[in-house]
Amino acid sequence: MDKYSTQKEDEKFRQILTSARIEAPENLRHRIMQQIETEKALVPQGTKRKKERENNMLREMGAIFGTMYAVLGAMVAGVYFLLGEDFLLSPQFIGSAILVGSIFSLLWLISRLDSHLRETKKIR
Amino acid sequence: MNENQRVQQVLSGNTSAFAYFVDAYQDMAITIAYRICGNMQDAEDVVQESYVKAFRNLRSFRSDSKFSTWLYRIVYNTAITHTKSQMWIGSRAAAMEDASQLADNTLEINMNENERKEIVADVLQKMPTGDALLLTLYYLEDNPVKEIAKITGLNEPNVKVKLFRARKLFKEMVVSNYGVQITGT
Repeated sequence: MDKYSTQKEDEKFRQILTSARIEAPENLRHRIMQQIETEKALVPQGTKRKKERENNMLREMGAIFGTMYAVLGAMVAGVYFLLGEDFLLSPQFIGSAILVGSIFSLLWLISRLDSHLRETKKIR
Repeated sequence: MNENQRVQQVLSGNTSAFAYFVDAYQDMAITIAYRICGNMQDAEDVVQESYVKAFRNLRSFRSDSKFSTWLYRIVYNTAITHTKSQMWIGSRAAAMEDASQLADNTLEINMNENERKEIVADVLQKMPTGDALLLTLYYLEDNPVKEIAKITGLNEPNVKVKLFRARKLFKEMVVSNYGVQITGT
């Protein structure tokens, strides 16, 4: 009996509270889907840009350090044929090789900084 | 096609399949958000934010629970954060004081649909937020106590007790504010 009256009361509540349901405005669905589509469109673009950035960095690195090793190779070959094997191990030659390495490293640092600044400017 | 299949569709890149979940649950989501926020503008923002959160975290949805329960939990948490409110503390004492006339066990509102709608909306508005929300979840969506516990983070016995008190308070407030009893027609 008790259970029956509880069920009956539940039924009445259900009937009465049905009117309390609020209908979402028509544009809400559009707003939600638009935001989701926008977010989805932005995510792959971000990944693409990141990949592009990584590729650029590798290309730059290859060009600068490739040139550096070519110059060092030419220096070694020149010194070997003109001044002999002993000069290759002399402090003067090692100092020159370190200087060439430092100059190219500095050049690479400057180009990285430049790319970074360009990227930041583009994002803004 | 069941909901898990639709979830898989969305995860595999078909974003427009998510529209099904928006269509199916936006009314209840906005009802929950409105109960907590108290105004439509905030409720709409909360629902929009909740759906976007659900979309972003769809991979974490475990198919052993209902999608609606998972979504309503997000709406509930987002609304609480949005309003910075504490759901289960507070204003019942004041509401009980207002409802000075104790109702008996009957529930009778014998009037036309519009009047009844107005009364129900007004009483739910005046009730403590948590109580109004429990009634909404239990009677509007036919959520079992177990699902309500998952949505609100309360335990099941607690939901049952609060639901009992909410029903009692609702009846008392209808009687004290309108001097009528509710009946279904």
